[in-house]
Amino acid sequence: MRLHLVELILFATYAELRAERARSYLGLLWWIIEPAMNMGTYYLVFAVILKSGGPDYVPFLLIGLTQWQWFKSCVSHGSYSIWQHLPLARQVKLPLQVFPSVQILADTVKFLFIMLLLLVVLWISGYPPNITYFGLLPVLLAEMVFVTAATYIVAALVPLVPDLRFVIEQVLQVGLFLSGIVFSLDGLPDWLRRWFILNPIVELVDAGRGILMRAQWPDWYALGRVALISLALYAFGTFLITRLTPRYVKLPT
Amino acid sequence: MSEPIIRLENVGVAFNAQLRVGAPLFWALEDVSLDLARGDRLGVVGRNGSGKSTLLRTIAGIITPDRGRLKRAPVSCQLLSLTLGFLPHLSGRDNAVLSGLMLGMRRREIMQRLPAILEFSELGDFFHQPISSYSTGMTMRLGFSVAMQVEPDVLLIDEVLSVGDTEFQQKSGAALRERIHSGTTVVFVSHGDAQIKQVCDRALWIEHGRSMMHGPVDAVLAAYHAAPSPPAPPLAGS
Repeated sequence: MRLHLVELILFATYAELRAERARSYLGLLWWIIEPAMNMGTYYLVFAVILKSGGPDYVPFLLIGLTQWQWFKSCVSHGSYSIWQHLPLARQVKLPLQVFPSVQILADTVKFLFIMLLLLVVLWISGYPPNITYFGLLPVLLAEMVFVTAATYIVAALVPLVPDLRFVIEQVLQVGLFLSGIVFSLDGLPDWLRRWFILNPIVELVDAGRGILMRAQWPDWYALGRVALISLALYAFGTFLITRLTPRYVKLPT
Repeated sequence: MSEPIIRLENVGVAFNAQLRVGAPLFWALEDVSLDLARGDRLGVVGRNGSGKSTLLRTIAGIITPDRGRLKRAPVSCQLLSLTLGFLPHLSGRDNAVLSGLMLGMRRREIMQRLPAILEFSELGDFFHQPISSYSTGMTMRLGFSVAMQVEPDVLLIDEVLSVGDTEFQQKSGAALRERIHSGTTVVFVSHGDAQIKQVCDRALWIEHGRSMMHGPVDAVLAAYHAAPSPPAPPLAGS
């Protein structure tokens, strides 16, 4: 990618984050409050009311939700990004990956804040830092690629089929339950589990929990497979956007 | 005459008329041919809906032709647009940087030109305020000042030759004319004969997406005004 595009993405991310601060009274505090309320809701429903899981259920849930929220907010915010910027795309020749990338970067900055907060909560609740924390880097990098890939693909399709906007939130909601975020997939029969772990989020969240709760190194083979799938999807997403760009600028306004 | 840097041969561009499966296509450009050499100043005339803006976007490389051929030397094109990508909550300065990056400038270049942008736009202390506090005229002044920092090989202008209040209109008009006459290749779309005569050395008349006449400004303008208004084109089937 040409350097001025990297500069454009970084500066536009800064602009996006400033916009969020300007659009509410509490500004940056919402970066923390909103996910905290979200986690509180799931905690209330699944831990307190339904009494799911065992003794480790709270960290299990919090880690899963943190990693899931990153994916979810990128896909759901990023899905609109090209569609919203069509008037701009008609004015200036730009690679349109710029727009979802800005959204992904902005949501990733917010994710890093939540991640820090999560670590503090875990340390306080008796899950101290350990040597396998170094394994977090490849896990989060792989998740970053997967998140980017998924966001690109959705963002590429929404301008052509704006109706997808009404479906995405529902699909993400189902995705939350199918990704082993609120309940463990261990109880599933083997044949079913084999299908579930095709979902990269399942492996990534599993690896995250292993590191943070049990000082367990990631399953490198599984992580490598997730990284490869994610890279392939990323290439596909980039291809889709590039290929469809001539059609976007001709869509009715 | 030097080798053309941009050449359109029987170019056609179709749009989807509606967002619906099987919606008919609308051919905004049917059959346009033109040659643009370095330093040319081409005026484009035509009635509303004749495809002038689509033609500019095609030359800029934003729209790809659906038929015909478009040949382009490696040149940079800028479609002159004010307030490109401006965001209301950002300061004038930050918007200038964002807009400059979108126009293909490097951040360092823009930083070096910020003083010039500030001076030309006459925004003073407002430069560091969010542009949501600006009047329309102020936003336009900022947009124009940023757009003028880019030095493209081919400048594409859709109607706008000057912006703002009377005083700034003279200033911006003068700056743009200076740019045009400094050897930049220009394609200028306008309804104003006087402006076309002043700016351009050649003219192209298009009607319903077809090039009707291409040649000396006076001859093309005379033919354009002599022609009766043609009926509206039919929607082509998909």
